[in-house]
Order: sequence, then structure tokens, then C-alpha cells
Amino acid sequence: MSPGLRRYIVVRILLTIPMLLILVTVVFFVLRVIPGDPALAIMREGASEEQLASFRAATGLDQPLHIQYLRYISGVIRLDFGEAMKRSIPVTEEIKTFFPATVELAMYSMLVTTTVGIFFGAYAAHRRKTAADYGIRISSIILYSLPIFWLGLMLQMIFGAQLGWLPVSGRLSAGMTPSPEETITGLYTIDAVLTRNWVLLKDALLHLILPCLTLGLVLAGIFTRLTRANMLDVLEQDYITAGRARGIWERVLVYRHGLRNAAIPIVTLLGLQVALLLAGAILTETTFSWPGLGRLVVQRIYDRDFTTLQGTIIFFAMIVAGVSLIVDVLYGFLDPRIRY
Amino acid sequence: MSETTPDISPAPLVDDDIGFVRRIWRGRIWYGTEWYITVAGGLILLSITLMTIMAPVLAPHDPNDFVGAPFTPPGGGPQALVARSGESPVASANEITDELIGVQRNQNGVNLAKEMELERERYQNQDELIAGLQNEEVDLVFIDQNLVPEVLEANPNFDVVNENLGRIYRLGTDNLGRDITSRIIWGARTILGVALASALLSSLIGIPLGLISGFVGGKVDRTLSLIMDSIYSFPGLLLAIALAAMLGPGLINVAVAISVIYIPTFFRVVRGQVLSIKESLYVDAARSLGAKSPNILRRYIFPNVIPSVTVVFSFNIADAIITAAGLAFIGLGLPPDIPDWGYDLSKGHSFLVAGQWWMITFPGIMITLVAAGFSLFGEGLSEILNPRLVK
Repeated sequence: MSPGLRRYIVVRILLTIPMLLILVTVVFFVLRVIPGDPALAIMREGASEEQLASFRAATGLDQPLHIQYLRYISGVIRLDFGEAMKRSIPVTEEIKTFFPATVELAMYSMLVTTTVGIFFGAYAAHRRKTAADYGIRISSIILYSLPIFWLGLMLQMIFGAQLGWLPVSGRLSAGMTPSPEETITGLYTIDAVLTRNWVLLKDALLHLILPCLTLGLVLAGIFTRLTRANMLDVLEQDYITAGRARGIWERVLVYRHGLRNAAIPIVTLLGLQVALLLAGAILTETTFSWPGLGRLVVQRIYDRDFTTLQGTIIFFAMIVAGVSLIVDVLYGFLDPRIRY
Repeated sequence: MSETTPDISPAPLVDDDIGFVRRIWRGRIWYGTEWYITVAGGLILLSITLMTIMAPVLAPHDPNDFVGAPFTPPGGGPQALVARSGESPVASANEITDELIGVQRNQNGVNLAKEMELERERYQNQDELIAGLQNEEVDLVFIDQNLVPEVLEANPNFDVVNENLGRIYRLGTDNLGRDITSRIIWGARTILGVALASALLSSLIGIPLGLISGFVGGKVDRTLSLIMDSIYSFPGLLLAIALAAMLGPGLINVAVAISVIYIPTFFRVVRGQVLSIKESLYVDAARSLGAKSPNILRRYIFPNVIPSVTVVFSFNIADAIITAAGLAFIGLGLPPDIPDWGYDLSKGHSFLVAGQWWMITFPGIMITLVAAGFSLFGEGLSEILNPRLVK
């Protein structure tokens, strides 16, 4: 590892810390300061003054705000998000239960996004300023303008309610949930392969199709544009012109020489889509009753469970920061020009 | 001398004498496809804006009134007037002023009778209605037109007085019997209001911060950039959800919640532009002539930021529309008495399996159309104003 690369990685990691701290602070104060009294909100009306006081003492709400804040920060550093107000279990436990569903949804949606996005993006760049290019550009704008939940509703209506081909909600059919010993990763498709449970695999995949198409297609709208722009940059390079001068077949030039060189920025952009992916997952999960983190957030809003809400949102922030850190570091390895 | 010099200056590219519309029309020659994309977006926006302004005229009903039977399919809703035969049935709606009319609860007929200022008797359901006519409690009853053949067959002594009476719900009615057409027309007002308000808020905060950050530089710039980058990297919808949940329902609250997401976008674009404009020769020239910093910022830098801000603004509104609809879909939108496409979609979600497709189809098409309109407009505009910004 060269000194330059080491310095780059260290600086990049150090930059992530204040970023997360800012987000934790923003989320903490948004959720704690504006609503007034969380004790009142969670206990509802009718709670006596003593009940409220004991609730406040138990949850640390009777402390001054800055003490609460410092306590919370020191907890977050140890990945301890406090105790859920609604169900008196650690928030970390709640997150653990719901996280695999989101990962599975995100994973397969990303597959749809990259397949569709790279193919159409590269094709549009190849056929720049033709009808195909404009067609792809306009369709990607329209795809991106689709409200994610509405696309979900439409797919549910057509393939679920009308045609009856695919399940429209949940991760598995009733009674299919694997026993705890069969659960290894929590990702049902991977668990099914590991335990050679093909019935489970089929059921899990069928349930995945509609949610992943929904989330994947909407993101593909953005990703097509990004791929196209990057491909256009690459296709303007001298070596492409040189290749053309040597009489290399245009298709080989674009899809072998061009696409390979555009791959690095494209993969980086994929990493940056994680924030959009997670935001989209919230709506997709709500539409398809998918038991993931997004659904957890929405449910806890109704329950007025601020600690879980706060913990989950901060966990989301950590994922985003973590993924972009990994992507940037990888980028630093792959491309020696990137240095601070 | 001047007479012998041939006039070699070409005809002006843009004729200053022609009007605004015609000048836009000529633009298609210079900008090609980008022009068509911009104009397509612009036309969508123009029609939506017209719809918003004309809502009271265009909407056939009050969006919150229970005007028809619940779940009337699109194009459905006409009523037939049925009477006992031998009662000298009247031919037109004008001649029934003195009759006692039976209407069903929560039915199209209730409103029809109200409009005609008729004496009316209310019944709970279709069977009671027909029984009322049989028992001579009322002279006429309103019946759903689709059911007329059935009713006539069961009661041979009935006659149809007037068919196709009443209004047609072009896009159907929702689960409470509200007219979807009217809700869509009024909903355009809501969503445009929220999106515009939030975009204005974000730009009012983001642009000055970006100007200062880029111009001043140093510690201020580093701190502001770090904060903005943190917010920018975060899933915006989550932040909006947290804010909207805390602020509670309300037009301004939703706009505030959404605006926070897009402040960093304005900040980043403006800051980037300022950094490059700051180095240009004309800024140096102004400074060497003794211009003060605030003046340079206001008169030399800010005007050059406007084109990119316009593009960001357009994209921002498109995004804000989708986000606002998403918030409403989750249940964090506006109070229920404001017609809102996102809220209608979330209501329709519950009735999707039962086959009431019209409740979710039309609001969704409208959201897509308006968002796509702003996106197309921004996309074309960005290429026209700054061909290197978007490839």
C-alpha cells in the first residue's frame, strides 16, 4: 500500500465520523425537541402524573437535554440505541429482526437496476442522438417520475389481483416461515439454497419478483442516465478514436473497450445509490407489506415509539456512510489518480 | 465611402421584433430535440397550472362532498326515475316538481333531488326504496340505471319515467362516494402548492448559503460543506418522514419537512458555480476597480448562478411532488379534508384486491405526469442553458 493510498483511506475514514455525528445530532434533536414530551406521547392521555414521572425516570427523559444527548451518543458508539419504548426490548434487537428482509429486497432490486440500467445506458450512449437514444432518455425520465408506491400498486393490481400470477404481500406464503435452526443468514433465498429447501426457495423468489421489479425499475431510470453520461465520456476518449481508426468493429469498441473502462465510475455511482435504494425501500415495503426496516419505521411512527424510530434512522445513516466509505476506498485502490 | 461598402453583416439570428411565443417557436431550429423535450415539459406544466387556476370552474363537484354511490366505476352513475304505471308518468325532469321522490341514503339521487328542490323521502337501501314505491309512500324513485331491467322484471307494474338522469362520474367515485374527477382537479392545487412552497424554501436557504460558502471559503466553507454533504448523503425521505411525523399534518409542515432534503442540492450547485465564477476575469476586474464583496456577489456572481438554479429548481419540484405523495401514502400528509393525490392512493390501496382499479389508477397517472413534466422541462432546459451540464 503506497503512502498516498494509506493517507487517502485514513482521511476518508476520519471524514465519516463527523458526518455521522452531524446526522445523529440532527436526528436526535428533530425527534426530541420538536414533539414536546415523548412521555405524554407514548403514555397517551389518562396517565397520572406519577406514571409519567416514573416513565421519564426509567427512560432518562427527566435529565437535561444535553445529558440525554451525551448519553445517547455514547450509546450509539457502542451500537446501543437504547430500549424500544413500545415493547421494552433493545432497539438493536428490533433492527436485527427486520434488517434481513430489507437486505434481501435491496440486493435483488439492485440486480434489476444494474441489468436494466447498464444495458440501456450503454445502448443509448452507443446510439447517441438517434431515436433509440431519445426514447431511452425520455423513458428513463418517466420511470424516475413514477411514484415508487404507485408502480407497486399497479403491478400488484395487474399481476396479483387481476391475473393472480404472483403473490402481492409478505416475504413468504403463510406457514412457510423456516424454523430458527433453518435460519442462517435471515435472507430466505440464501438460507433455502444452504439448507437445500427448494420449495422455500421458489416461494421466496415468487414473493420477491414484484417488490424487486418495483424498486429496481424506478432506480433503473436514474441509473440509465448515469451509465449513459459515463459511457459518453469514455467514448470521447482518444483510445476509442484510435481503435476506430484501426478499424475495430464499433460494437466491440463500445461494449468491450468502452464499457469496461466506464465500469469503475459506474460501480461507484451504484454505491451512491444506496441512499436512494433505502428511501425507495421504505415505500416499497409499505406497499408490499414487506417486513423490513422501512416498514418498522412507518409502524413505529404510528406507535409514537421515538427510540426505535431514532435508532432505525441512525442505523440507516450508518449503512449509507459505511457503503459510501467502502466504495470510495475501493475506488482509491482501483484508480491511483484519486487521492486527497 | 459608406455607400461602396457592401453590407456583409448577416441577417440577425433572432428577430427582435417578433413576439415572445414566436421567438420560442423559432428556438426549435437552434436547439433541435432538446427544444421539443423542454416544450413538451412546458406544455404539461402549462396545462396543469391552468387546471390549478380553473379548479373551481372545471371540477364538477366539491372534492369533499359525498356526491354519488361509493365505488361507482368510471363513466357510471346515471340514474333512472321509476314510477308506478297508471300514475301518468311524467316525461322530463322539469315536470316532476310536485312529486314525492324516494331516494336512497348516500346515493346520487339524494343530491339530484336536492338540486331539483324536490320533496323527498329517504330509504336505507334499494329494497326499501322499491317497497316505498309499491306502498304508495312516494310517487317516484331514483334507481341506478344498471339495475333498471332487474327492477322492472321483478315489478311489472313499474314504468321507467326518465333514463340517463343525473350525472356521470367520468373517473368514478371513491369508497365514500366522492367524485374522483373533482378530487384530481383540486388535488393538483394541493400538490403544486406543497411542491412550490418547499422548493422556494429550499432555494431561499440553499442559495445564500452556497453563495457565502463558495465566496468566503476557508473554515466557513468547510463546516457548511460538511453539514450539507451529511444531509445530502442521507436518504432524504427518512428525514422528511421524521420531520413530518414531528410537525404533524398541515400544508406548511409538509412543505418544511420536504424542503430540508433539497437545501443541500441548491447549496452544492451554487457553491460549485461560485467557485469557478470567482476566478473569472470580470470578477478580478470589478475587484481591481474597487467593488466591495457584497456588490461583487450580488451583481457579478449571483446573475451567473441563475441558469443552473433554474434547472435545479425544476428538478426539485419534480422530486418534491413524488416525495409529498410518498409522505401522504405513508399517512404523514395533509389533513384529510384537503384533496391530495397521495392520500387518495393510500385509500385506494385497501380496495385494490376487490377490483376497484379506478381509485388508484388516476391519481397515480397525475403524479407521474406532473413530475415528468417538471423533469422533462428541467432536462431540456439544462441542455439548452448549459450544454455541458447534462450529456
